[in-house]
Formats: sequence, C-alpha cells, structure tokens
Amino acid sequence: MNAPRAIFAIARADFLERVRRYSFLLTLLFAVFLGYSAASGRITLLLGDYRGVYTSAWIGALVAMVTTCFVSLVGFYIVKNAIDRDRQTGVGQILAATPLSKISYALGKFLSNLAVLSSMVVVLAVAAVAMQFFAAEDPHLDTVALLAPFLVIALPAMALIAALALLFETLPLLRGGLGNVAWFFVWSILGIGLPELTGKHWLDPMGLMTVADSMIEGAKANIPGYKDSFSLTIANAPAKIVDTFRWQGVPWTSQMILLRVGWMFAAVVIVLLAAMFFDRFDPVSWFSPSARKSKKVSMVSAAEQLAAGGAASGNPTVVVHLTPLASAARSNAFGRIFAAERRLALKGLHWWWYCVAAGLLIAQFASPLEISRGPLLGVAWIWPVMVWSAMGSRESRFGTRSLLFSCANILPRQLLASFLAGLMVAALSGAGAGVRLLLARSFAGLFAWAAGALFLPALALALGTLSGTGKPFEGLLTAIWYVGPMNHTPGLDFTGAASGPHTISYALIYLALTAALLVSAYAIRFRQLRSV
Amino acid sequence: MQLTVDNLSKNYRGGVKALQNVQLSLKPGVLGLLGPNGAGKSTLMRILATITEASSGRVLWNDKDIARNPDALRRVLGYLPQDFGVYPNLSAIEFLDYLAAVKGIPAAAARQRISELLALVNLADAAKRPLGGYSGGMRQRVGIAQALLNDPQLLIVDEPTAGLDPEERVRFRNLLSELAGERIVILSTHIVSDVEAVATDIAILARGQLLAHGAPEALLSQVAGKIWEVVVPSAELPALRQKHLVSNTTHRSDGVHARVVAGSAPSAEARQLEPSLEDAYLAALATERNSVAIAGAAA
Repeated sequence: MNAPRAIFAIARADFLERVRRYSFLLTLLFAVFLGYSAASGRITLLLGDYRGVYTSAWIGALVAMVTTCFVSLVGFYIVKNAIDRDRQTGVGQILAATPLSKISYALGKFLSNLAVLSSMVVVLAVAAVAMQFFAAEDPHLDTVALLAPFLVIALPAMALIAALALLFETLPLLRGGLGNVAWFFVWSILGIGLPELTGKHWLDPMGLMTVADSMIEGAKANIPGYKDSFSLTIANAPAKIVDTFRWQGVPWTSQMILLRVGWMFAAVVIVLLAAMFFDRFDPVSWFSPSARKSKKVSMVSAAEQLAAGGAASGNPTVVVHLTPLASAARSNAFGRIFAAERRLALKGLHWWWYCVAAGLLIAQFASPLEISRGPLLGVAWIWPVMVWSAMGSRESRFGTRSLLFSCANILPRQLLASFLAGLMVAALSGAGAGVRLLLARSFAGLFAWAAGALFLPALALALGTLSGTGKPFEGLLTAIWYVGPMNHTPGLDFTGAASGPHTISYALIYLALTAALLVSAYAIRFRQLRSV
Repeated sequence: MQLTVDNLSKNYRGGVKALQNVQLSLKPGVLGLLGPNGAGKSTLMRILATITEASSGRVLWNDKDIARNPDALRRVLGYLPQDFGVYPNLSAIEFLDYLAAVKGIPAAAARQRISELLALVNLADAAKRPLGGYSGGMRQRVGIAQALLNDPQLLIVDEPTAGLDPEERVRFRNLLSELAGERIVILSTHIVSDVEAVATDIAILARGQLLAHGAPEALLSQVAGKIWEVVVPSAELPALRQKHLVSNTTHRSDGVHARVVAGSAPSAEARQLEPSLEDAYLAALATERNSVAIAGAAA
C-alpha cells in the first residue's frame, strides 16, 4: 500500500467530513469572536499599566498568543473525535479490514486535526491584519512581523494539540469524560505551568514565554520603573492604560525557530505513541476500555445464542401469550419516568465512585462550615460531572432518539425527569454543606447552594441537548470550577462561597440562568422531536 | 381503526423529493411496503411514526391529523426503526422497563408485559445481561420487544428482519401474522419473501411515488399469464436479459432455466408459470423505470 497516499486520503476524508458539518461553522465563528475580542480591545496584553503600540509586530504577537491560549483549550475539545467518529459510524470496521497501518491511520487523523485547528489560526491571522487597519496607530503593515508569530508560535502549538487529542482518544482512560476534564489541567500546565514550574523557559510547548520574555525586555527598555508585570486580560470594556510603548517584535533567532520545530517533532512522536495504543477498532483488544468484560460477555452471549437456538430449533412457530394492556393501564405517572431516568443516570458507576462521593459527603458534615461550603462543596460538585454530562446527549450518543421521540408526551416529561435526576445527584452530593448552612441559619448561603444545585444539571441538560455530546459541559464545567470555586472568583463560584455580600444577587443570576437554560433545552428538544 | 395518508410529500434539502403525493388508506391487517433502496420507505415510516414532519399532505389517525396531535397516535404506536441504539450498560429488562416508563405503562403491568415479550422474542435467558454484550440479532429482538411494549394499535416495523437468522426471521413473520388481527401493521422491507409470507395488503414505492397498492391477489393478477420459463445456454443469457425482464435464473445440466416476465411467450419452447409476488414487484419496478426513461428521452 502507498502509505503517503493513504495518509493523505485519511486526512482529506476526515477534514471534508468535519468542514461539511454545521459545527465547523460554529468553530470558525468562535475564531471570529476571538479575533473581534482582540481587535476591539477586550482582550489586552498589559505590561504594568502599559501596552504596546498597535504595530504589526505587537498585533501579530497579541493575536497569536490569544490564538495559542484559547484555541489550544477549546480546539482540543473540537478535534477530539477523529477516531470516535469512525467508531460511531462503523467506518472504522471497514478501515480495520484493510492493509492500512496504525501509523498511517494515526498520521492521517493527526493531519486532519491540524488542518481544522489551522483553519482557526488562519481566521485569526486575517483578523490580525484587519485589527491593524482599524486600530490605525501605525500605518506601516509589516507582514513578516505580523504573521511570523502565527507560524512560529501558534502552528507548532496546534500540532501538539492535534497530537494530544489523538493520544487521548487512543487511551481508554482518557477517551471519555475523564479525558475532557483532565485536559483542562494538562492545558494549564502546558500553557504556562511548565516553564514556571521548572524555571526553564525553553520548556515552553505553547511558545507563550518566548513572546512574553521578548515583550518584557522591550518594556524594561521603554517603561521607567517597570517590574516584570505581564498579563493577558479579558474584560467587558477596553482595559485602561497609562501609556503605550513601541515594541520591535520578537528577534527570531535560529535557536528559537529550531526549538519550535522541535515541538513539531514532539507532536509527531506523540502521534506515533497514539498509533501504538490505538486498538484498531477491536472491541476486545488489550487497549479497549472493557476488554476483559467484553471477552466475558461475548463468550456468554455465544453460549446463550446456542442455548436460545437450541430451545427454538425446529419449531419457529410462535405461540403468542401477550396479556392485553387495558387502556386504563396507561398512565402518565411522572414518578415512573423519574425513577427510570435516575436509574439510567447512575447505572454503570463503579463502587469506588460511590465511596468517593460518600467520603466527600461525610467530610462536608465533619469540616468547618467555610471549608464545607467552599472547597469541599466545589469538589463534591465536580465529582458527578460524568453523570451530568450524559444528560440531554444520551439519546444521540446511543441512538435511542427514534425510540424515545415516538412516545406520547415525551416532552416535557422525559426532559424534566432527566433534569430532576441530575438535581437529585447535585442535592445529595452537596447535602452536607446544605445541611450545615441550614443549621447555621445562613439562609443566603443556602439560597446560593440551591441555585448552584439547580444550575449545574440545567447547564448539562442544555449543552447536552444542543450538542448531542457531553464534551462542552465537561470542558466548560471544569474551566468554571477551576476559576470559580477553586480560585474563589465571585460570580463564577457556583457554590456561592466566594460571593461575599453579593451572595443573593449572584444566586438570583444563577437562578435566571437556570431558567434560561431549561427553556433552551426544551426549545431544542421540541425542534429535535420533529426532525429525527 | 383507520390510518389515512393523504397526498403526502417530503422534500429534503437540495431538491431531493423523498416522497411525492403518496395516498394510502389502511385498516387492520399487515401492509407490506416494498421498494428498492432509496425509494422513500424509511421516510414514510418516520413520518407515520410522528418523528419527521411532512413537507405537504396529511396523515390521519382515526380522522385526526397526527401533525397537529401527534400524541394521539403515539399512545397507540409501536415503532421499530431501521437503525436504533440501546444503552449498553442496561440489561434487556432494565431497558424495556425504562421505555415502558417513558410510554406511561405502570410498573406492575410493565413487569408482566416485559416478561412475556422477552419469552416471545426468545431472550428470556439473556434478559439480565448488559445489552452491550448482545449480538446484532439479539439487539434486533430487543427492538421488536420494545415496539410491542404498549400493546400498539399501529405497529410500524422498518426492515425488522435485518440481522436475524433464518429461524428467527420465520418466528418474527409468524409473530406478525398472529398480531395482525386486531391492529394495523406496516412492514417495510425490500425482502419480498417476508411480505409474501404475512402481508394482507401490499404497497410498492419507487423514487418516492406509490406505484401500486392492493391485495396480493390484485398485484399477482397484473402479471398473470406473463410469466414464462425459458431454457437457454449460458452464453445466450445476456441477450435474453437485454430483451426481457428476467426475474430468476437456475443453472441446470440442460442449460439456464430463466424465469421471464413478458407479455407474450419469449420463444416457442417457453413454458407458462404461476406468477409470484417477486415477479409482480419486479415487473412494477421495470414498468416505472421504462416510463422514467421514456419521459427522459422525450424531454
């Protein structure tokens, strides 16, 4: 087999399949939004109270850093479905029966991932050109200075993201929701954590420190009394600055460029690693998530099929003994469907999941109130992320939409039952903090707790119904959780612990959001009901 | 109990006409819906099952428009889609109980019904195993069981025998015959023998249009006297195929025994045969293809 042709064919088919979906349009819209945010001054690079003059070098570096920061986080979730799509569509079974090697397959998928991410980079690069035109602080357009950061910084970073997404897909433990949650922390370390933790600025996969170091040098030379302050800020309005300074851009040395090329090679090594772990769509391979279980099941199934065949052999005549259902026996009892949704939500969880949940609950009762309603409640409310992320998307994921949507009164009963099952999980997992707040007569805190418990399943249901997958919720919740409850950011702390005097106001906002999310989920499902 | 399909059309994006002015009226019995791949059978099934909206026309269940009041039909509907999934971590009992709850069947009645259905589809022994370990045929039988959960008055089954072994296929056909007495069953398939075995009524769809609808006898009468057996050497078979519609061939020591649909005897030695439903179906499709070709040439 001609390997380069096969790799190209895999990449091309995968890329075309992706770009012909509406979700790709959303991907590009996200890139346009980022570009607009940077161009309108809502995303600003500040060195102390200064920023650079909007020259080609500054704008190129700014937008390339924004690209690297945000596209690397969100882009991972966007491209982490290359192998899964082949698994879901059954195309994988066809490919597995061809002489295609695992390495060729992995390289093809990697190139497709990279092409998708690169298309976002291209959109942002175009936005950067537009930004210089609209900012009009420096009329001289230096295309090399403007585009070099995209090529040298953003593209190798995208290659790493493309490769890591593939690796996550091949590792059973990271293939599902756990990988989506874990990515946020991996991204934090890759982005700034690694050079900060090790003190080695060359150990900078995303390339952000390379640009930051150069800007800091420029600031030291131009700003009197400047003390190494550097921040990439996001705000509703353009950031206030004291003055601007002229930065000449990163003096690209061959060492810097070689280092970035080195990260491209690292991406290829990660792809080869992914190829090694790739199960080649074999459900009973060693790397498969439930290899042992599947083997056991398939043996049992074979035995059962033989037994079933034996029982029926020679007599395919059917004697129908079906008790007719009286029309009175049909009911719309909501309790039944709620119990069924609750069982479905919790089915398949391991015993250790319950042990950790119980441990967190006991800790909430045993710890001081501030710890109980703060970090402990925060952890207790990230723990059921996989239970919630299946809400609203389970029907798409497992192909049961046709079966469910042809049932009477499915809306709003099933959606509401699913939400209440999620709410029950939130209430139970955070019950310790809730009871403590009640006993302490902290009614504002209890109100915030209730708003948080309502908000989490509502967010999961809306995002799951909209996207048909749990990924957006898993990614978003992890990000909000890290910034909010873990870093005590008022407004983003859905436990309410960091809200201080604004506890009631923030809780009301969460309640309003909950209502909006539930209405959205209803509207989306209403539309889906008629378009299976 | 009556289902009326009134001038139904469905257009997809890009100008694809999946259904064009389909007209049907159904009473209790089994309607066998035949048609080649892409004929519009599954689209029609999905519209009848209330999960896809028609572009124009109406579907009436006991004179009520199902687009305006889908739940009136959903309460008495059993639907087995062509492609469906299951929750792999649930057992067959748990999955059926989940759907019973969604369909509004009380727990006690559901328990008895599920037990009877699992016995009926030959899955009683595997009922407590996770569905993730089921074979394709076993999953299909779970699909059949779920379609019968609510004792439906209208049972729509789209390619139900796909993935079933021959024995299970015969069992399912017999089951449909048994069930048909007091309900309307719509069986969509491209396997003519399945329809031949159970249908009390037959409809043929091609390119989104209803080519024929009637009792099997009426369809058979259209090709009565037009079915012939001709014995030719293997080398002459392509020429015979070019001249006539050949519905079947069997290689024997004296040559190829070809089953030919033709208005008059294709040769002096031709022997007239009793028509089968497959002959009638192929003849209807060939007539439609010819008329499209003539219309195309005229245009």
